[in-house]
Amino acid sequence: MLKCQEVELRADALVDGTPLSRRERLSLNMHLLMCRHCRRYVRQLRALTAHLRHRESPTAHDDQVQAVLDCVHHSKQTTD
Amino acid sequence: MANPDLETPEFIERLRAGDRAAFALVVKHYHPRLLGAARTMLQPADAEEAVQDGWIAAHRALPKFEGRSALLTWLTRIVINQARMQLRKGGREVQFDPTEEGAADALAHRFNANGHWQEPPRAWALSGPDALLTRDELQHCLESHITAMPDNQRLALQLRDIQGLDFNDICNIMDVSASNVRVLVHRARARLFEMVDRFQETGEC
Ligand SMILES: [Zn+2]
Repeated sequence: MLKCQEVELRADALVDGTPLSRRERLSLNMHLLMCRHCRRYVRQLRALTAHLRHRESPTAHDDQVQAVLDCVHHSKQTTD
Repeated sequence: MANPDLETPEFIERLRAGDRAAFALVVKHYHPRLLGAARTMLQPADAEEAVQDGWIAAHRALPKFEGRSALLTWLTRIVINQARMQLRKGGREVQFDPTEEGAADALAHRFNANGHWQEPPRAWALSGPDALLTRDELQHCLESHITAMPDNQRLALQLRDIQGLDFNDICNIMDVSASNVRVLVHRARARLFEMVDRFQETGEC
């Protein structure tokens, strides 16, 4: 039987959808079935990573975009 | 995460053909994320410069972009290379492999000698109007903890959990083995888990 600390180290594979061997998957699932602390850990780790992924990513301001475009355009003129 | 509207074959074709409006749209959506990636390695002013140089390089290379990876992945690789060049100019070499420094798993102290939880995770309020992860104070706290991480953990977290890149692409960009990228991402997540758990308990960052 896996120890909780080993589950903590392997939980990323569940969150990332990393393929696991049958044996690894079975031992993780067995542990999670029996241990509510680790179930909670995995559930909250998933929530945390999903939150990081889906936080609204800001878009650049129009003047920032313009500055980039000017710079790109300028470098094109000087090298063409 | 990559913006699906900017990753369709039709859109990429417009870009490669030199469509200015399409390029401006890419800058609008991806500039802040690329800046976030560069800031994991450089001071803010240098990061701005690296991203700017990255856009110039990307604009030149666009006709050759084959779409084998997502556009965001391709741009990130270009910007990280620019950042590396800047560091090299300043006499600093970057090496992202995990080191002993900052190595301890931030959750290690929560287990007893037998590997069982001695301080189990608290129950986070995940739903409802006052859901923990949506609170403003928590966003600020997350930002400051991400900023304070060792560079390699921050970059791995940025690329994996914020930009949503594949592990394979992250290995290529960081020039670190797959298992080491996983170690870095794990350590970064453990830090944030510990921080959120403490926030749930105390309401403080
Ligand atoms: Zn357990």
